[in-house]
Amino acid sequence: MNMKSNSLTRNSIVMTGLAIIGVYIAIMAVSTFWLPFDPVSMDTDHILEAPSLATGHLFGTDEFGRDILSRIMKGSTISLIISVAATLLGTLVGTFMGVWAGYLGGRWDNVLMRIADVLFSFPSLLLAIFVMAILGEKTFNVVIAIGIVYIPQFARISRGAILTIKSSEFIKAAKSNGASSGFILRKHLLPNILVPLIVQVSLSLSVAILLESSLSFLGLGVQPPAPSWGNMLSGARKVMVIAPWTAIYPGIAIVLLVLGFNLLGDGLRDILDPRLRNVR
Amino acid sequence: MFRYIAKRLLSLIPVLFGVSIIVFFLVRLIPGSALEMYMGTQVEATPEQMVELQRIFGEDKPVPVLYVEWLGRILQGDFGYSLRTGRPVLPDILSRLPLSLELTLLSLMLALLIGIPQGILSSLKRNPFSDVINRVIGLLGLSLPQFWLASLMVLAFANFSGWIPMGNYIKFSVDPIRNLRMLLLPSLAIGIGLAAVIMRYTRNSMLEVLQMDYIRTAKAKGLTKRVVILRHALKNAILPVITVAGFNTGYLLGGAIVIEEVFALPGMGRLALYAIYQRDYPVIQAIVLMIATIFVLVNLVTDLIYAMVDPRIRLDDGGR
Amino acid sequence: MKRQSIMLVALLAMTLFGAAGAFAAPAAQAVLTIGVDQEAVGIDPHIVTAFSSMRRIDLLYNRLVRLDDNFVVVPDLAESWDVPNNVTYIFHLRKGVKFHNGRELTADDVQYSLQRILDPKTASPGRSYVSLITSIDVVDRYTVKLNLSAPLASLLDGLTSNNCSIVAKEVVEANGNLQKVDGGTGPFMLQEWIPDNSMTLVKNASYFEKGAPYLDKVIFRVIPEQASLLAGVKSGDLDLATISDGATIRQASKDSKVVVMSKPGLNMRIFSFNTTAKPFDDVRVRQALAMTLNRTEILGIAEFGMGKPTGPVPVAATQWAVPVAKLPYASPDIAKAKKLLADAGYPKGFSFKITCSATYEGGLAVAQVAQEELKKIGVTAELEVVEWGVYIDKWVKRDFATMIELRGGSGEPDRFLYRTFYSSGGVNNFLFKDAEVDKYLDLGRTQTVLADRKASYDKLQTLLTEKAPAIFLYCPNENQVMGKQVSGFKLVGNGSLFYVTYTKVKR
Repeated sequence: MNMKSNSLTRNSIVMTGLAIIGVYIAIMAVSTFWLPFDPVSMDTDHILEAPSLATGHLFGTDEFGRDILSRIMKGSTISLIISVAATLLGTLVGTFMGVWAGYLGGRWDNVLMRIADVLFSFPSLLLAIFVMAILGEKTFNVVIAIGIVYIPQFARISRGAILTIKSSEFIKAAKSNGASSGFILRKHLLPNILVPLIVQVSLSLSVAILLESSLSFLGLGVQPPAPSWGNMLSGARKVMVIAPWTAIYPGIAIVLLVLGFNLLGDGLRDILDPRLRNVR
Repeated sequence: MFRYIAKRLLSLIPVLFGVSIIVFFLVRLIPGSALEMYMGTQVEATPEQMVELQRIFGEDKPVPVLYVEWLGRILQGDFGYSLRTGRPVLPDILSRLPLSLELTLLSLMLALLIGIPQGILSSLKRNPFSDVINRVIGLLGLSLPQFWLASLMVLAFANFSGWIPMGNYIKFSVDPIRNLRMLLLPSLAIGIGLAAVIMRYTRNSMLEVLQMDYIRTAKAKGLTKRVVILRHALKNAILPVITVAGFNTGYLLGGAIVIEEVFALPGMGRLALYAIYQRDYPVIQAIVLMIATIFVLVNLVTDLIYAMVDPRIRLDDGGR
Repeated sequence: MKRQSIMLVALLAMTLFGAAGAFAAPAAQAVLTIGVDQEAVGIDPHIVTAFSSMRRIDLLYNRLVRLDDNFVVVPDLAESWDVPNNVTYIFHLRKGVKFHNGRELTADDVQYSLQRILDPKTASPGRSYVSLITSIDVVDRYTVKLNLSAPLASLLDGLTSNNCSIVAKEVVEANGNLQKVDGGTGPFMLQEWIPDNSMTLVKNASYFEKGAPYLDKVIFRVIPEQASLLAGVKSGDLDLATISDGATIRQASKDSKVVVMSKPGLNMRIFSFNTTAKPFDDVRVRQALAMTLNRTEILGIAEFGMGKPTGPVPVAATQWAVPVAKLPYASPDIAKAKKLLADAGYPKGFSFKITCSATYEGGLAVAQVAQEELKKIGVTAELEVVEWGVYIDKWVKRDFATMIELRGGSGEPDRFLYRTFYSSGGVNNFLFKDAEVDKYLDLGRTQTVLADRKASYDKLQTLLTEKAPAIFLYCPNENQVMGKQVSGFKLVGNGSLFYVTYTKVKR
């Protein structure tokens, strides 16, 4: 009923999301010059110790005596970078494909969308596993694998947006005035697809983190000893019977960051979606 | 309408063809081979044995020739034999299909059971505070890594063996009660994520519908709030939700891989994973082709439903 | 009155029927449920290599001879044997042994099986154990003679391998191979196999050993999670579980509800060098690394201490293994290592890659500890962690500088050492060629007097440690966890489940 309380709601969701993401970015920044302990070197006298203030290991140690908190902090860098890079790759390539397919139509449309369809017909994780198996398990390849998974989605969205405006009066007028394709694209079409793209980007960022951690969990993503939340959970699988903290904290780290991106995306979608603007 | 369906079905062919080529050639780009893994690091073989082994493992001809042979056999329904176990591929895959389908179905049902009521509730809330809480909880479901949730479940329920398959999977046809009990946790692990998506779509649909004129009219007529909601709004809001569920089948099929691994369920996802680990080309090729086909068909059906429901979507380009 | 008597009669009738039912009902079956973390790949003994398959074959088939729990060769299908000279072996078979299809086993079956193993078309991994056999003669119904082209001291040990099981010809011919069917004589028969789920074996009532087996059924269940395996034994769902993970075994040892059997096995963890890759082509560099790695520390972290340091012969093979303390580089000597490196031209150390995999065999944990320890001599190791299939590929193509490996050793030194370290050995991925090592390997293989052989192998162990084509780290323990209701099971260092034949379950 109350418009003001509604936008307050929407804003608070976006703000919460941004706040969470901000905390992680801050952690990432701090971790570049300070960490409580060395995340990679082993301390064989302190294997699988429970969290305690006394030892300074606030989240405990893992099966090699490494401090879990430090590894989680270091892992934030890897996760954020992979997520952003992969989403960027998918967005750029996918949008490029979709825009050209939608604008040019005809044969180009067919070919480009067929390619997108073939990619789309694989379940995301399976496709990512496949790509990783071919390219080899280097961290950089994780970016490529997840990026490839995203291409079809971005292609579809941008193509759909282009198609809905392509035949509108506005564009026809501009064309008959002699405006070049490039000009039309830049001035009129692109701003229109920005909205669905932004929402999709923020949601993709969250899924990227889940995909990366799933790949690392299966042993096909970031390789140890480099800490990724996913491979930390993979290593924890065997020891969690006697040391549950090795599995709990990295998992929470994943959940909170993904939640942050989801809140952001969901909140943005609420704000930007014209259909919901005047609800109650 | 029928022309559209026919056109879409025809367009499936090049897509599946493309999938088969990608799978066949790219899978051989993965370093390592089933033959190497069979030999491992312990086995010695003489040159004559190697020739024989290469023939058995299908490494004795150039890849394009192998592809054509394989394609020919597939079109006759022969999917070849597993390089690891020597057993025919198709019966093994088909025997696992019921479990994967059951898991997908149960996950979908749970997701709907959780997501729809939550979506409805959150669309009715007056209080911004509880609205936020509700949304956050819903999104939390989407933020949990499935394998983490699954691992924690296995840890927590390790002592309650009736709830975790543990290499003792019982088919539905053999004992439905036990079967459902042991699939509950895995379905929950998959379904929670989907429930969040469904909750969001339900909520949005409900919000849209609730403000429409005829609802106001019904209210004015004095019908109780509950009747208004249940009868009018829900009817219109459900359909988009079902289509969303359809679109997310891919999520379900893919998510099943990790869940099947952690819960030790003999489903198709796990077969695919192990086949990739073991470079079992015939199995990989067959499974990927099958999953892709199912996926594409489900998407087609969902597209059709979506187009039928939402008149705004134009069929020639739309809904894709 | 009448109603009461009717009731009485009814009650009596029910009791009688009930009692009759109890007599008619079969006695409760003795079932052993075994939890394993990997599915068997196939069960043809002449074809499979995977450990998981071997465990089923342990119970379905017999060989001419077998190893007892002290790695001594004892009779199995052969009651006794003569070795008139070092290229002739004569085996006297038991009489009345029946295949699972009812037919009696004769010398023809032994001939058929060995020929199948030797046939290149079978591509059998067992071939290399018996490759020097030139002919197999059927002397009479229960006597077989094997003729070799040259002496092979490890022949008997090779014949104990599951890859040399005796199979029924008609079953092979009816099915193409034995991957899915049972053509054996073993204590148990295959009843049902649901892949990735369970395999059910039933008692062979006409097994040649009277009284055995005591169990009516054995069920294998595939459960990939170590924690679930332990939980299964604790809850009683599983009677026996093969658990490889150190942390889980540690957990199990503290639990009074389960019994843990742990014994150093025949598998050997080694740090392999590609002896043609710089700087490892210089033996001094290899020795320097051998002097730096701390076996006890690596064992402590990678296996939670469950294993024993070893030399080139698995430490569990007590008849042959030289105690580690008597071999060179028994404990780390950092100063000497640094000096060696400087002599070889690397006073400031160098950097290189260790190839490993996240699977158990791939030794990722070992690699991480090694990386850490090598820092002490200024050597920087970079881990190349690859997926298992890629690991094998690199091994096959010799595309590595160093690798962490898990090798299957043998109780008999020739079987393992020859193929691994001979300059033309089939699994010599170190590309190691040394005339002196070759000389002693040949001697050990052809000498017939035990004392001579022991001397040769003692010398060989010292040589191999000094020349260091690989650094011999430790033998991890074989572990079985079982419930208190299990009795009569004995652990064999090579993981064999043979003793399930004498196991009983008390409910």
